[in-house]
Amino acid sequence: MAGRVVIFGLDGATYSVLDDLARRGVMPNFARFVSEGARGLLNSTIPPLTPPAWTTLVTGRSPGAHGIFNFLQFESEDSPYLRIISSREIRCETIWSMVSRAGRRAGSFNFVAHSPAPKINGYVIPGWVPYRWVRAHSHPQGIIDRLKNEIGSFDLQTMAMNFQEEEKAVAGTQLHDYEPWIDLHIRREQQWFNCMKHLLVNDPCDLTGIVFDGVDKLQHLVWQFLDPAYEPANPSQDFLRTRERCWDYFRKIDGFLGETVQIVGDDGLVLIASDHGFTGTSEIVYMNTWLEQQGYLTWKGDAAVEHQDSQELGAAHPYHLTHLDMSRTRAYATSASSNGIHIPVKGIRGEHGIDPSDYEVFRDELRYALLNRCVDPATGEQLVTKVWTREEAFAGEMINFAPDFTVALRDHGFFSVLRSDTVLKPRSVVMGCHHPQGIILARGADVRRGAQIDPVSLLDVAPTILYALGLPIPRELEGRVLSELFTRSYVREAAPKLNGHTDHPVVNVENTEPFIDAEGEAQVLMRLRALGYIE
Amino acid sequence: MLPIDRNSVRSELLKVITTLRDDWDYSGEITEQTGIFQDLGFESIDAVALGSAIEDHYNRSLPFAEFLMKANERNAKDVTIGELVTFVVDHLSRTGKKP
Repeated sequence: MAGRVVIFGLDGATYSVLDDLARRGVMPNFARFVSEGARGLLNSTIPPLTPPAWTTLVTGRSPGAHGIFNFLQFESEDSPYLRIISSREIRCETIWSMVSRAGRRAGSFNFVAHSPAPKINGYVIPGWVPYRWVRAHSHPQGIIDRLKNEIGSFDLQTMAMNFQEEEKAVAGTQLHDYEPWIDLHIRREQQWFNCMKHLLVNDPCDLTGIVFDGVDKLQHLVWQFLDPAYEPANPSQDFLRTRERCWDYFRKIDGFLGETVQIVGDDGLVLIASDHGFTGTSEIVYMNTWLEQQGYLTWKGDAAVEHQDSQELGAAHPYHLTHLDMSRTRAYATSASSNGIHIPVKGIRGEHGIDPSDYEVFRDELRYALLNRCVDPATGEQLVTKVWTREEAFAGEMINFAPDFTVALRDHGFFSVLRSDTVLKPRSVVMGCHHPQGIILARGADVRRGAQIDPVSLLDVAPTILYALGLPIPRELEGRVLSELFTRSYVREAAPKLNGHTDHPVVNVENTEPFIDAEGEAQVLMRLRALGYIE
Repeated sequence: MLPIDRNSVRSELLKVITTLRDDWDYSGEITEQTGIFQDLGFESIDAVALGSAIEDHYNRSLPFAEFLMKANERNAKDVTIGELVTFVVDHLSRTGKKP
């Protein structure tokens, strides 16, 4: 495959929505893409969550290796304090860096945990960054000013993350708020696409990746308008109007896809991928309240019921953690999105917790309780359908940052970590939540036309991209080349080359001499040698 | 090589913050007494981004979340540039090894 590769990332995209929109004529370019390319299901990470999943896609490594489990992470192995993840927390090399090391160029747009931007051969405009920081956290220096000068409609404030608005995606909103919310995402995606398109045309890279995260944000809120399973027999005018606006968002994305395919041309490869799928959730499980009822967790006396998390003075520590009586708590959940449960162990993150020698027995007891006593009070049905220990889900060097348990709920929803007066509540409307299977589709000269492949893993994407670029695949990558996406003649002629190793994450080596230890220095020397700067 | 005495760290920190000026509605003088929330108008997420920027600048992980949480625990109304400088100098001076 001689041409360029573009990762067209659709955060949370799922076939149940996209195929329906293709059938209705809302997404004609997607329909054409399907008929001209290959497609399959893409198994996500445990849990199916944006930070670990996209990081797995761009590193080819599992969370236990790359170290990204959630939006919030303990500050160190022994710290009880949580921080919002940044690019420093990714402990494995990204595909952008691998491509750079091979002497090729890469461009990355709107990926999570890419801020401050790693210094690669190409450009990185990170996602999930407040607008005042996008310029400072992008690479190379001056890229934002360049885009501002060269794209007439460039608007950094629209493009960057608006965190106050984002809270609505999780917290839910009123019906009349849906349309401004959808419009905001249409405008934002247009900004991101303008940037990618401008550079694809005027300063192309061998590998370009973009994530449109509005797909996820919309689906959380407006699932009832998107999943055909929830379409009412006699829809109201309000329903039809809001659904039409949702479809406008997807029309926009479809237009971007059509333009991208045209720019890349027939000799390149366009890969559509989502980090996870989506489905509907109609209930809320209050995990910390269940832990309290079972005697595993104690709130401080003043902890309010259903109080929202606070971020006073910029602290990322969720409200509910500061309101736990840790001296009487043996298990707790830190954040809604990870579905993770932590067991405090004495001496590891402070003086409180269970005795280290009791850990295995206590963990077995809690696992049994989660699977057998966390039930729907009305029916007795299990609310927790699966429990993974950290060894099962997150084996690797970064395991000590991972929660002790990760659970799956019966409707794939996220549990709530807030204090409640009951363990289970119905939602007033169906909301969208993450499903463990996302999508992967490929189109290009050497891609099989109309092929349906068996489900594959996010781990397989990075090696497949390197293969398509004709680059060697480092031995540490955990997945495989998805040769079933490509024609037999192409695979016969171009065998995958497993060769070499990943590098440590690219760090800014300028001005760091006083702060690197001997091991770090050796790594820098290795890197400089690999780049040919020293012998 | 970046020196880690108080004057140098303050100067580097101000350099980091002034790079934001093009996207920031603040044109006043920034001193050690300037509060990042009440004077500079930071929101929570800006403070997190500032922590990442400082870490990136010095290529060191710093316990920034702990620093902010402790400010919250003592009911501080703001975090000043001077307090930030003290925090950075303290941690950079301790050891060359990553925490």
